[in-house]
Amino acid sequence: MKLAAIDYVILSLYFAFVLGIGWMLRKKISTSGDFLTSGHSVPVWITSLAFLAANLGAQELVGMSGNGAKYGIMTAHFYWVGAVPAMIFVGIFMMPFYYGSRARSVPEYLKLRFDEKTRGLNALSFAGMTIFSSGISMYALGLLLKLVLGWSFTTSVLCSAAIVLAYTFLGGLTSAIYNEVLQFFLIVFGFTPLSVMAVMKAGGWSGVASRLPQVMTHSWKYIAHTNENPMGIEIFGLVAGLGFVMSFGYWCTDFLVIQRAMAANSMSASRRTPVIAALPKMMMPFIVIIPGIAALALSKMAVGYALPMKNGGPDYDQVLTTLMGQFYPAGMLGVGLTGLMASFMSGMAGNVTAFNTVFTYDIYQTYIRPGAPDHHYLTVGRITTLAGVALSICTAYLAQSYNSINDLLQLVFSFVNAPLFGTFLLGMFWKRATGHGAFFGLLSGTCAAALTHGLTVAEGKGGWLGQVHEFPSTMAQNFWIAIMAWTVCFVMTIAVSLASAPRPERELVGLVYGLTPLKHDEGVSWYKRPVPLAIVIGLLALILNFWFA
Amino acid sequence: MMDLRVPAGSFFVLLGLILVGMGILTPGEPAALTDANVNLYCGLPMLVFGGFLLLLAWRAARRTSQ
Repeated sequence: MKLAAIDYVILSLYFAFVLGIGWMLRKKISTSGDFLTSGHSVPVWITSLAFLAANLGAQELVGMSGNGAKYGIMTAHFYWVGAVPAMIFVGIFMMPFYYGSRARSVPEYLKLRFDEKTRGLNALSFAGMTIFSSGISMYALGLLLKLVLGWSFTTSVLCSAAIVLAYTFLGGLTSAIYNEVLQFFLIVFGFTPLSVMAVMKAGGWSGVASRLPQVMTHSWKYIAHTNENPMGIEIFGLVAGLGFVMSFGYWCTDFLVIQRAMAANSMSASRRTPVIAALPKMMMPFIVIIPGIAALALSKMAVGYALPMKNGGPDYDQVLTTLMGQFYPAGMLGVGLTGLMASFMSGMAGNVTAFNTVFTYDIYQTYIRPGAPDHHYLTVGRITTLAGVALSICTAYLAQSYNSINDLLQLVFSFVNAPLFGTFLLGMFWKRATGHGAFFGLLSGTCAAALTHGLTVAEGKGGWLGQVHEFPSTMAQNFWIAIMAWTVCFVMTIAVSLASAPRPERELVGLVYGLTPLKHDEGVSWYKRPVPLAIVIGLLALILNFWFA
Repeated sequence: MMDLRVPAGSFFVLLGLILVGMGILTPGEPAALTDANVNLYCGLPMLVFGGFLLLLAWRAARRTSQ
């Protein structure tokens, strides 16, 4: 891909704005709360878009368009089944406890609801995961810049790290959130035209459908059995594994996204944040998946487009960039590339700001130095930003030198994340759940995940303890690992809770459903109330599912 | 708190101006799979969107100053 001078102008313009926003925000930071939690003062439209954009990394853009070409519209399950219901659930049912408890982080909620050891377990595993996630973002950006611009890996990693460091160091969470919103707009304006042009070139949606096998343009029709679809999944694994455990485990417990909703300026706004974010989320397949499907259709026409190849097979990760190169002239090419870089960088920044908060409040203030004056924690927060970026650079190099480390990490994340939703579900809706129950439930759930992976095989992965069952795809294996982990965590938490002493109810007010008075916001228009808004958005998601069934 | 609509609006107005300018000055900028004036048609909505954000920010600022 050849970039013209104007493309570099657009790229520099974006960086100038990103740094400018950080510089303008630096004066507003006077307490650790301003820096780490935005002082609960961000308007709801901004927190909503940031809630969505913090998760919209460039791996998602590149990966989902590649999956579109590989699996077709079934990829949209990751949005319409694997995200929207969980986002609505966290807004309506869980934000009242997160926001109402005044916890500053997800681990801190666990401390308030359960005990110190459950918080410690969650804080440590979360801090580790964020560093690796941000390092992997950095590594992927390094690969992209090397490929597109011809920069060396070291130059691109250090350059992007410096920019992220500059704006998160200056403006903290607010700066990261503002840049996530800017990135979201850039992606919408930068990639919607690509989707429209690719589909038009292939003769509209009917033209795309006529050139591809039926299974590529139907999301539900070929899902009764694993051998009917290229993903190798069936309906129970999909709905229970992806739609329930994996998506609720991520959207309802991952501090990276919850932190955005916690920054909202009122309880109602924090509940509406994930609900409003679900609306653009369900539209994302039209921007990220449809271009991949259209690319596959184009490759079967005589228009001069071929899927990129690597080692004799299609290189799905290059689908998006090759489409950009073929449809965009100098100018728009710069915008598209800036959008990609922006989403890599905000992926890093999101992880760094979440790491900051968890380290400062849940590790440093709890175990290392409690009771210091607030300006001390502000300084620690800033130093942690520096350390977080430095550690991310190390993990980026680690990922570069050991390619398989990515797979290993994804695996570890899934072991840790899958059971978490069981803990939160019981913690928020069953007042009898105890600290011992939560801790041992989490541990045994994680072990169950590892055991399932060790005893089953899929595409040559897993089975390091023996082979009891073989899955048709790693995706199906992941869904079942999640189901097993959640079930074991759920059952163990209940069993251990019943065997241990309950906490007095007065200690649980504001933390558990049934003991927390919920404020009803009557007299406000329906779109400013979480529940009616959730019903409308839920119906829209249902319509989309039927439309592409 | 700084109003995000000001920097975001300014960014998209500038980006829109650059792209529309490119579209008018060099309408035949090559792209392999399309003959459309991509820069012009993508730049215009950005310009309008940026202007809209600035308008909202301006109205909000006027309301708070009154």
